[in-house]
Amino acid sequence: MANLSLKHIYKVYPNGAKAVNDFNMQIEDKEFIVFVGPSGCGKSTTLRMIAGLEPITAGELKIGDVVVNGMEPKDRDIAMVFQNYALYPHMTIFENIAFGLRMRKIPDIKRDKDGNPVLDKDGKEIPVMRKYNKQELTEKVNEAAEILGITEYLKRKPKEMSGGQRQRVALGRAIVRQPKVMLLDEPLSNLDAKLRTQMRSEIVKLHKKLQTTFIYVTHDQVEAMTMGTRIVVMKDGFVKQIDTPKNLYKYPANKFVAGFIGTPQMNFFEGTLKKVGDKVEIDFKYSDAKITVPYSRLSKTTPQYLDGTKTVYIGFRAEDVTLDEDKVAKSAAKIKVRISHSEELGTETLVYGDINMDGDGFAETSTRVIIKSAGFKEYQPDAVMEAALDIDAIHLFDEDTEESIMPRIPEYNYLDCEIKGGNISFVGVKPGLPEAVKCADGKGELLLPVSAVRFDGDIKAKVTDNENVNGQILVTLDVNGNRLYALSDKVLPVGDINIGVDYKKVTIKTDGGIVTPMPEVNGLDGTFVTDKGEKTYNLLINGVKIKAPAEVYGKMFAATTGRKVYNSKFRYEWGPYDIEVSDAGIEAEAVRTLDYGDEKFVECKVGEETLYVKCDKALSGRIYLAPDAGKVGVIESERQIKIV
Amino acid sequence: MKTISDIKKGFKSIPAKIKSIPAKLSAKLAGAKEILTQGNGKVTASLIVMGLGQLIYKQWVKGFMFLFIQAAFIVYFVLTGATDLFGFFTLGMREGNAWYGIEGDNSVVCLIMGILAILIILLYAVIYISNVKDVYRTQCAYDTLKQPESFKKEVGALLDKSFHKTALALPVIGVCVFSILPIVFMILIAFTNYGGDIVPPALVDWVGFANFGKILSLGQFAPTFFKIFGWNMLWAVLATAINYFAGLGLALLLNKKCVKGKAIWRAFPILAYAIPGFITLLGFKFMFSYGGPINYYIQQGGGEAVGFLGLDAKWTARFIGLGVNAWISVPSTMLLATGILSNINTDLYEAARVDGAGAWKQFIKITLPYVLFATTPVLISQFIGNFNNFGIFYFLRGGLYADGYFLASDTDLLINWLYNMSIDNNYYSIGAAISLVIFVITSIISLTVYVLSPSYKQEETFR
Amino acid sequence: MNSAKVKVAKAKSKRVLDVLITYCILIVVAFIFFFPCLWLILASFSKSGSIYSFDGFFPAEYGFDAFKSLFTDTVMYNYPRWFLNTLFIAVMSCILGTLLTILTAYCMSRFRFKSRKAMMKATLLLGMFPSFMGTIAVYLIMTQFNLINQQWGLILIYSAQAPMGYMVQKGFFDTIPYSIDEAARIDGASNFTVFVKFILPLSKPMLVYTALTSFTWPWSDFILPKMLLIDKDLYTVAVGLMSLGETEFARFAAGSIFIAIPIIVLYFCLVKYMINGMAAGAVKE
Repeated sequence: MANLSLKHIYKVYPNGAKAVNDFNMQIEDKEFIVFVGPSGCGKSTTLRMIAGLEPITAGELKIGDVVVNGMEPKDRDIAMVFQNYALYPHMTIFENIAFGLRMRKIPDIKRDKDGNPVLDKDGKEIPVMRKYNKQELTEKVNEAAEILGITEYLKRKPKEMSGGQRQRVALGRAIVRQPKVMLLDEPLSNLDAKLRTQMRSEIVKLHKKLQTTFIYVTHDQVEAMTMGTRIVVMKDGFVKQIDTPKNLYKYPANKFVAGFIGTPQMNFFEGTLKKVGDKVEIDFKYSDAKITVPYSRLSKTTPQYLDGTKTVYIGFRAEDVTLDEDKVAKSAAKIKVRISHSEELGTETLVYGDINMDGDGFAETSTRVIIKSAGFKEYQPDAVMEAALDIDAIHLFDEDTEESIMPRIPEYNYLDCEIKGGNISFVGVKPGLPEAVKCADGKGELLLPVSAVRFDGDIKAKVTDNENVNGQILVTLDVNGNRLYALSDKVLPVGDINIGVDYKKVTIKTDGGIVTPMPEVNGLDGTFVTDKGEKTYNLLINGVKIKAPAEVYGKMFAATTGRKVYNSKFRYEWGPYDIEVSDAGIEAEAVRTLDYGDEKFVECKVGEETLYVKCDKALSGRIYLAPDAGKVGVIESERQIKIV
Repeated sequence: MKTISDIKKGFKSIPAKIKSIPAKLSAKLAGAKEILTQGNGKVTASLIVMGLGQLIYKQWVKGFMFLFIQAAFIVYFVLTGATDLFGFFTLGMREGNAWYGIEGDNSVVCLIMGILAILIILLYAVIYISNVKDVYRTQCAYDTLKQPESFKKEVGALLDKSFHKTALALPVIGVCVFSILPIVFMILIAFTNYGGDIVPPALVDWVGFANFGKILSLGQFAPTFFKIFGWNMLWAVLATAINYFAGLGLALLLNKKCVKGKAIWRAFPILAYAIPGFITLLGFKFMFSYGGPINYYIQQGGGEAVGFLGLDAKWTARFIGLGVNAWISVPSTMLLATGILSNINTDLYEAARVDGAGAWKQFIKITLPYVLFATTPVLISQFIGNFNNFGIFYFLRGGLYADGYFLASDTDLLINWLYNMSIDNNYYSIGAAISLVIFVITSIISLTVYVLSPSYKQEETFR
Repeated sequence: MNSAKVKVAKAKSKRVLDVLITYCILIVVAFIFFFPCLWLILASFSKSGSIYSFDGFFPAEYGFDAFKSLFTDTVMYNYPRWFLNTLFIAVMSCILGTLLTILTAYCMSRFRFKSRKAMMKATLLLGMFPSFMGTIAVYLIMTQFNLINQQWGLILIYSAQAPMGYMVQKGFFDTIPYSIDEAARIDGASNFTVFVKFILPLSKPMLVYTALTSFTWPWSDFILPKMLLIDKDLYTVAVGLMSLGETEFARFAAGSIFIAIPIIVLYFCLVKYMINGMAAGAVKE
């Protein structure tokens, strides 16, 4: 019955270890959120921070509209189910469920012995807080017990009950108070496999019935996939991906998520990609296997991976590899697999093999392959067979960062370009370059960020497709037969459209020189001070005070203890539009003016830092900067924690 | 027992700890500096007069409480504290003389009241610092626009968040007064000449390490000390080994599958365990006395009555002591071993049986390592208990002084000697020095044993 | 086939022998532990009090004289009085000592406060000092506080020193899962409520163990009462019985039986708790 908002949540232990790093999430009412990840990934810590059992180091946690940092667990209106149930062993099931109600008071009006309202002088009812009476208690407990089917056990003690029943009691104890948020910490991991499946669907049913926000922690990806409306995959304190089960499965953002979600694990190979014409050749390492894929399939991939030298991880799920003869015959992407052994699971058979003819198919290597095949099909060990890969289901990951190199929203459009006499030509158009990005003539590459494509220019284009990626619309455009990606906040009708380029964000690499995009963030070091007497609180940068609005200093106060806020160093960040050039403020030395045609920016130096600030006219010499304190981003330097 | 492993960890991390001391100290200093430099006028007010800052902040109850504590302390200090503190260093200036009606200073009382005064001053210092910290915390809250904790909430926290403060207050005070203060007193006494002729009303003086010199160098104390120390070590080792293995054996015997009516068999040792120790000891003293039943049968058989516990019965008395000690202590070891044996995973035995290990092999390879591992801390505490086993020879042979021993008999342990000297014969300072020596010996032994023990060497094996 | 039969027969005879030896040892052990007790019981029924009148272990004549004089002849040795004194001191120390020990152990197990580690190390260190090293100081302190020759003085000392042995109890509390505390806190309980409503009921075996140990200590201690109690009317049984000589042996035996019986009964009722308690304290961590 409430939404949750987690903003820049950190958990840092006194020894400096960060258990949770910059956790950001907006949880809507009635969602079923699953935190999943290997042990020690910070999922339980996050849950316990939401519960209030663990203090939040920094960040803002809201339940409903209330900031609950530092609030006691009992005041947060949450309920929690623990892995070991944590039933009170010495109390009956009834008492276990009723205990939370007994501890609580409910608003009522003052009444006399017969239950009639007592009125004050003005004839109004007098509000009081009272405990639940026996009848209400019994009613509520019975109601919860009925939902979970444990009515007949209410007089028993926990130790007289089986694991599944205990789990029900734990759930009953949680739901009886009708909390705003239900927190479940690996509630099923102490149950056997069959019960677990059964309880899984019961919890989902319970969620539907209660219409409450559920947050569920598990290390079991099957639980996560089957229960969550959205899943948060975590590792080493970092959020790896937040998405729906379907999207996690189809579009894993990194190798970790790809390997963690789905059984059997995704097959990972190492290999190189080489673009030849409109095809891409994929060469598998440690093997003779080689397949060809149309470039259109990899059009979101960064070109630097396509020159045939950089090693990448190639991922195929077991069901996207097939040994079916018909399919193999039709397929364009075939590889030779030496069969090693198979596991029959009834409905399907998992065939283990190796694309390296010397591999044994048992150890997890970058040539081992697991193939899902129809049930009870027999395969000869050591036979060499042809397998077909479903190239539409290919996943590619960087070798070092393990991030997907074909993300759902690519960062850039990589385009060939030529600069001649102040004009740039790419994808068959020749717009003029603004002053700021003028560079010498030459041929090269244009890196056009998807966010730099505007829908208001004079370049003619065609919208061919719209793809909704978690609220952002990725628009596929056709410009003179070339594919361009752009971001939009709404779905655009397929058809003609005019587009333009935001040159601030582009990178041009030619033999004539390199134009880098203008940084989007200006950072300055500073401190925090207050004026004695007056109640004003200021950011202090280079001796200049900038009055902070209540929202900013409120967050800064909340994130620090004692007077630490006055003794710490902060890094303040602003976008180029959030700083004004004015006649008073932070002193800066204008270096040059960048003219992007419709906008001008001044590049200036404050001490060692270089800043880019929007301006109206060309500037030089000494200027003064007036940042907008309401739009500041604040990072605490010592712990590297984003506060605002 | 966690504490022993704590010691061990502490032992290991000593170099790291020493390195971290400057860091910790500088952190403390930085905290103090922060308060002194950034505290506002109210903090300064509380620095000068406790509670004043709180009062300015309108925290009436807390403010007056601090104020009251300071007033009470000043009254205490003026009335007795200062004199007591002074007396701690001088141990009294004026010798009393009943003849002339002079009521002099009692050095021992001076010492003990001095320690008490120091404890009170320390306590006051802690409260003073918490007073400054408290007002600074309030200032911080006001400076960062946070609601300072209301007094009602702070009191409420004493039953919730700071429940430990409430709960530990009484135990800590009790331990301070009845455990720490006496031990500090005794340690200090070891550096005075208190005892012998020098007891109040005579004045006692600080003498430095002279008493330890007396114990270790020649003189009347040294030979006795070394003789008793040798026997004491032998006794502790023998008694611990006998009790431990007899208890373990008994537990194993009662654990056998073929034994029917375990509860009844177990009842006999428990009976022995339940009888208060002094009754057992006195009973055995009667049993072995001249007129006791043993001598009765010897005389019936035509022999002559034997003084089992008499003046010249050195080794018989010692063996009787070991036996009686076993009678008293074996049952408790048995109970302990029974508890631990029931915790062993029976799968281990089944696996061993399948592998073809016999009963003896099972005992050597599974039971003994496991029990040793689990009981090392207990073994150490039993060793210390035996090393300081006062009761046995106090009851069996109390009050005897053997030839060649100074105020001790040939069965006495250091602790008995300590008792004879300090409580029966007023050699307080020497007694205190001996207890310090006992302390050093027992702590070294327990640490060494622990470091050499299986629990230490294979900490993870039985997890 | 035949050799297998021989093997089975051999194993069987070996087993029978094993059982026989086991029972022999058990009987000997039982005798060793039981005989001195039996001797004391018989002695208490002796008609003449002196040990010299015995036929070896057995009294020459039996009767209830010793018990009668124990409770009636109170001029020299006021046994009923001593018994009540001991009972009072032991019960009071037991209540206070148990409370303080349990509180200390609970705090050490559940709270992570700044001086916790230091306090744990300090108690360990203090435990290594010979137990009555500070007795003289205690005596002097009691003199200063005017608590010499008073039962409350003894009770104060016993209960104040009891928390030093909190380790066993802490070990037990450590085994109660934290999640119970946490669940209760989410349900709205304060730490005090958690202690009273959850920790205490859950640690009944440990409470019993603690109460038992803190009862038996004052019940059978003799050093402190001997030093602090001067008045014969204030004596505890231990001090009183020590003043009996060989000629009063029967009376000693009768008095011993009376003081031993309550403890023996307690031990037998609670032996299960004892074993659990001792094992809980022994297994490390």
